[in-house]
Amino acid sequence: MKPAPRHVFRWDLDKTYLRTEFDSFGDLLRSAIESAADKKAYPGATGLLRTLSTTDGYRVCIVSGSPTQMRTVLAAKLALDGVAYDEFVLKNNLKNILRGRFRSLRAQVPYKLPALLSSRVGSPPAPAETLFGDDAEADAIIYCLYADILAGRVPPSELVRILESGRAYPDEIEHTLALAAQLPAADVARRIIIHLDRRSPTMPFRRFGPRLVPVYNYFQAALVLYSDGVLDARQVMFIAFEMLDSGQYQLATLANSLQDLMRRNRLPGAIVLRLADEVRAQATGEVLASRPHIPPFETVARAFADRVRELRGAIPLAWPTEVEPLDYVSLVDQEHLARRDKKRSAARR
Amino acid sequence: MQRIVVDAMGGDHAPEEIVKGAAEASLALSDAEIILVGDASAIGAILPRLRHDGARVRVHHATQVVEMDEKPTEALAAKPDASILIAAQLVAAGEGDALVSAGNTGASVLACARTWKLIPGVRRAALASVYPTELRRGDKNDPFSLILDVGATIDASADDLVTFAIMGAAYAGLISRNRRPRVALLSNGTEAGKGPAAVVAAHQILLEATELNFIGNVEGLDIPRGVADVIVCNGFVGNVVLKMLEGVSETVVRLARYAHKEKLAWRLGLLALSSALTQLKAVTDWQQYGGAPLLGFEHPFIKAHGRSNAHALTNAIKVAAKASSGDLCGHIARGLTELSARRTSVAT
Repeated sequence: MKPAPRHVFRWDLDKTYLRTEFDSFGDLLRSAIESAADKKAYPGATGLLRTLSTTDGYRVCIVSGSPTQMRTVLAAKLALDGVAYDEFVLKNNLKNILRGRFRSLRAQVPYKLPALLSSRVGSPPAPAETLFGDDAEADAIIYCLYADILAGRVPPSELVRILESGRAYPDEIEHTLALAAQLPAADVARRIIIHLDRRSPTMPFRRFGPRLVPVYNYFQAALVLYSDGVLDARQVMFIAFEMLDSGQYQLATLANSLQDLMRRNRLPGAIVLRLADEVRAQATGEVLASRPHIPPFETVARAFADRVRELRGAIPLAWPTEVEPLDYVSLVDQEHLARRDKKRSAARR
Repeated sequence: MQRIVVDAMGGDHAPEEIVKGAAEASLALSDAEIILVGDASAIGAILPRLRHDGARVRVHHATQVVEMDEKPTEALAAKPDASILIAAQLVAAGEGDALVSAGNTGASVLACARTWKLIPGVRRAALASVYPTELRRGDKNDPFSLILDVGATIDASADDLVTFAIMGAAYAGLISRNRRPRVALLSNGTEAGKGPAAVVAAHQILLEATELNFIGNVEGLDIPRGVADVIVCNGFVGNVVLKMLEGVSETVVRLARYAHKEKLAWRLGLLALSSALTQLKAVTDWQQYGGAPLLGFEHPFIKAHGRSNAHALTNAIKVAAKASSGDLCGHIARGLTELSARRTSVAT
């Protein structure tokens, strides 16, 4: 068996790494026939994944709800982007159709939860995990549930009720329980990063506690990981510069992203000032300074520090500091109802 | 990228509706940064409840607020950290490109006057307002005409009135996409010699020294008809006219309510007209327009209505972004330079 990684990063693909539209049948069809070159990653996501996959002791696992038939094109896209991964799990929807399990085609919890648990069971246990998903409610629920199962906070009887409410088939429940039983309790999934693809309000995510951080972009994700000690300042700047290269971000929008996290109490001002100091210290180094469209490091550092000063010590939003128990049964039910309502309203349109 | 500074604390429904409007604008405008000035804790508590783009919204903390009923001079003197003053200072310092406020009008104008420079050639600034008219104008089929000044310069000289005409035409050209806006002077008769000396002299200059589409004088009754797209007058007259027009509109609504209560036949008549009235309300809704510009300074300022809701504020931000990206102040400056050159050549 390989040596245990220091940190495992679990990524969703659609709406998290890849800009994918699922809102209509046409969107689905387009997504299915798109070539690897046509698929677009969010600015900074490639830089972040590449950084994580090339850091010693970090393991990248991709668990996506896309069908297995798309493996070739998705793998080609990741290869084009220079992203290496250690594990790549897709959903076998053809098998579900052949077995007449139409409920499983759309069900999220009965697919993704055992996929995550199975990945944890099948590889050397890492002392820390960070999970990346999108702002469709299911990712936040599944990732928190996974984190709580690993921490030993979800007894088997409750897990059964959650899976039943997630429309799981009996054998799926049995399989998930067996996987959970194999894992020793360890509170290792400490950070959940939710990419706000729909620009959803961040307040509803408050109920998931301090471990979950909704982010508008991957600079914010990098800042959270910097604050967690997972990335260093040079790596954060690498991701920032990729976003500037995309033309979709400017220094001001990156600095605003940083301030947004501070206002939401998800990034302390002291950390930002430390980052600004470290960025300023690189001004004399060789790192990337030769790219003419990239602002000088001194300017970057000043912009970051300015956003801290502009808040003038205003009290940030109160955010829970402890993980509170979640009522997963009702969360899964609500998510199911919301998805059904959305589908019905789309059909009416 | 257009950087629109917004006084988050100004207005009857601030900061809630102002922040909502800014949040919506952060999604609607693909190339703008919204800088909210005000109580950062209050703003920071509202934003997370709204859909918005966190990368396009920036907050600048200010601890004080000028209330709607405060006297502008005294309020600004007593409150150096007032959100409107800090907002105007940010624009003056080059941190923003345009300003939007739904707060105390006098304090907003004064904050701009104290911190911004006038465009070369402008002696006095003008506050413009829009009024729904029968005729429409421009590529946008705009139902609003522009009246200026409506209160910033109480006593305007002939040169001021000409400057107002150039500023109003530049604004109508950019915001209403009206390439040749019809410009008129408000007077007590359509004849060139009618009106006070300043109006008569301005008439002469507008005819001889500008290339504006100047249609001469118009009377008060021509305003709602929409005979002109830009109506020029001094701040005293403009303010009286505007208040009277608002009063007439309110009275009509009150009469309709009275009729609704009074007789069944009148109620049925109003019912039959209701869809047309709704349509009319939608067309002439001031909230669609966003706000009134303060013209003459080196930066655009859009004064949104004190009662502005989120929708009106979003539109005011859009107008400010358009004024900034379209270089409204540059257009005005060029118009004034041309006027100066033409007047010099006429004189020689």
